[in-house]
Amino acid sequence: MRALALLTVILTGIILLYGTQDMPKWADPGSPASIHVSPRYLERTLEETATPNAVTSVLADYRGYDTLGETTVIFTAGISCILILRIRRTQKRKNA
Amino acid sequence: MAPQSPVLVVVIPLIFAFLTFAFGWWRKDLCYPIALVAVSISFLASLHTIYTVITTGTIHYYLGNWEPPWGIEYVVDHLNAFVLVIVSFISLVVAISSKRTVEQELPEKVVYFYCIFLLQVTGFLGIVVTGDMFNLYVFLEIASLAGYALIAIGEDGAPFASFNYLIFGTIGACFYLLGVGYLYIVTGSLNMADLSQILPHLYHSKVVLVAFAFFLVGVSLKMALFPLHVWLPDAYTYAPSAVSSLLAPLMTKVGAYVMIRLMFTVFKPHFSIELIPATTILGWMAAGAILFGAVLALAQIDLKRMLAYILVSEVGYIALGVGLANRNGLTGAILHILNDSFMMLALFLVVGAIMYRSGNREIPQLRYLHRKMPFTMAVLVIAGLSVIGIPPTCGFFSKWYLILGAIDASCWVFVVVLLVSSLLNVVLFFRVIENVYLEPGEEHAGRGSELVIANEEAPLSLLVPILIAGAGIMLFGILSGKIISVVIQFAVPQYFVTL
Amino acid sequence: MLDFILSKYNYWIYIILMMIGFYAMIGKKNLVKKIIGINIFQTAIILFFISTAAKSGGTLPIIEHGQGHGAHAIEAASYVNPLPHVLMLTAIVVMVSTLGVALAIVIAIYRRYNSLEEDEILEKRKWPRNLLF
Repeated sequence: MRALALLTVILTGIILLYGTQDMPKWADPGSPASIHVSPRYLERTLEETATPNAVTSVLADYRGYDTLGETTVIFTAGISCILILRIRRTQKRKNA
Repeated sequence: MAPQSPVLVVVIPLIFAFLTFAFGWWRKDLCYPIALVAVSISFLASLHTIYTVITTGTIHYYLGNWEPPWGIEYVVDHLNAFVLVIVSFISLVVAISSKRTVEQELPEKVVYFYCIFLLQVTGFLGIVVTGDMFNLYVFLEIASLAGYALIAIGEDGAPFASFNYLIFGTIGACFYLLGVGYLYIVTGSLNMADLSQILPHLYHSKVVLVAFAFFLVGVSLKMALFPLHVWLPDAYTYAPSAVSSLLAPLMTKVGAYVMIRLMFTVFKPHFSIELIPATTILGWMAAGAILFGAVLALAQIDLKRMLAYILVSEVGYIALGVGLANRNGLTGAILHILNDSFMMLALFLVVGAIMYRSGNREIPQLRYLHRKMPFTMAVLVIAGLSVIGIPPTCGFFSKWYLILGAIDASCWVFVVVLLVSSLLNVVLFFRVIENVYLEPGEEHAGRGSELVIANEEAPLSLLVPILIAGAGIMLFGILSGKIISVVIQFAVPQYFVTL
Repeated sequence: MLDFILSKYNYWIYIILMMIGFYAMIGKKNLVKKIIGINIFQTAIILFFISTAAKSGGTLPIIEHGQGHGAHAIEAASYVNPLPHVLMLTAIVVMVSTLGVALAIVIAIYRRYNSLEEDEILEKRKWPRNLLF
């Protein structure tokens, strides 16, 4: 079982490393991720959202819906913990 | 209301989940009506959405009015709207049916149950309607966390089954996130439509290839496609009745929808079929799933566990339709999303009713039930006929299109697999139906004291959803032609129509 | 060759870290070790994403420039990419929530079986009366 797990892990790692060959260089300012979508966030954050912090403006304004999803995840996890851990007050129903 | 309906479908259950929690502290018996109201409004919004899509075409909804790819976008086309209506309708039916079983199985957790129930429905609806890759991940995690919790509160053995599901599900979600990350590194975009424009220039890139592989493995884990299905039988057997009635029809279908979306919208069909033999591999995995699920279902004594293995087999049908990569196959797959949801809904609701009345789910113990629960058993027979694939039930039509697709693709092995699985399903359901309708003779009279038989027919709040599901199976069978010509025909990507 | 390694080593480190976490998730028998593996795996993914946000010579993505007469053009290349940071804030929250639910499930398992080792639990479980699948 451990051998199978080790094999799976090594295979996954090799595939991931194989994929990094065509990736842009680390910290390259000309990489696709730095050119395509995010420059607008940096250039227009002050005029469109009046927030100097670009991370805040993306989090709360441009992609605010994801933040709503994130708070829902926390709420779900909290209620899930109550749901799972709550103990039955009466054991009688189980034995009846 | 009108132009906001795609968002309302998702947001209404979310808001009502908070409200359920708030009102549940005040009065416990308000939870059930609030949950019903939430899912009904969501269903009406989804009906409005599909009506808008059929009459005016694809809906593009910009959340926060930021145009994509800088903001998040909701894209609703025919495939989307179709799955959306299915998900919201099945949630409504399960919500109606959940009252009695939740009171019996989870008496002191009613408030939290309905809260997580609504969050689970939110998660599913959010996955289906979004057009942004990372937004899909967020709602996938909402649905997954709610699912882990709902399964863990079941009977003995449920927490361990849920933990197993958690490990597998987290691997699946993390692989999906890795795929999104790899695509982001080479494209810079998270929007599905934008990616489908940029990616064709990058199809030779190793990064895109690895991302595609990780997407497929991650979604297969969530969808329980053979051989990554191992979490499913335990998880759905030990879960509470209302939970397995909700998750079994929906989780796998939403996963199948994500697979179709990724393979044919984000990555063009040219990539998924010709550049990489992904559909071929998928087809063989699916054939394995169909046979494996059917054969293992034969070995089960517990009726619910048998249904869980049939579910593994049904996921195989949908994956086979995608793997055939032609118009008939894909039509069969999308139609099977509808049909299988209703079949699984009917079957799991029936098992829930049997469990509610008699507390025992083993197949040899199902005797006398046809006298005590005639309507429930009638729906069981109808659902069984649909799984086998006998007209005019809906199962026949999706299998018909799958066989046509297999013939079109000249994959005779798959035709044989489909026919053999129908035979196996006949054996499976004959065993169940024989036990239900059997009148034991004198030699069994001595064992009568061991049998725990149901006292009476299922209560109304369970019976009405069962009858709705049974009626749906017959109705969608008769109306399949109409459904295909109005909705599914446009849901199949254009590439296959001109093939 | 050295240039190749130097330009990609950030990805490699995090992939190796991911695989350590992945092995802990599937190869270990103790339930809590599996959860620790989940944590390592997801943390490594988060770090992987964040490492792609870097730009050489870039500073924090907080735009400080005067309004009106003190304004000057904002060059995107001098600020670090904010989008992966945002995505990973959400991913961190998801990771913590999964950790919470996983630990709650482990507590429920411990209450029932009084053990945290997978093989002991499988022995104590009442097996379904058929094949071991």
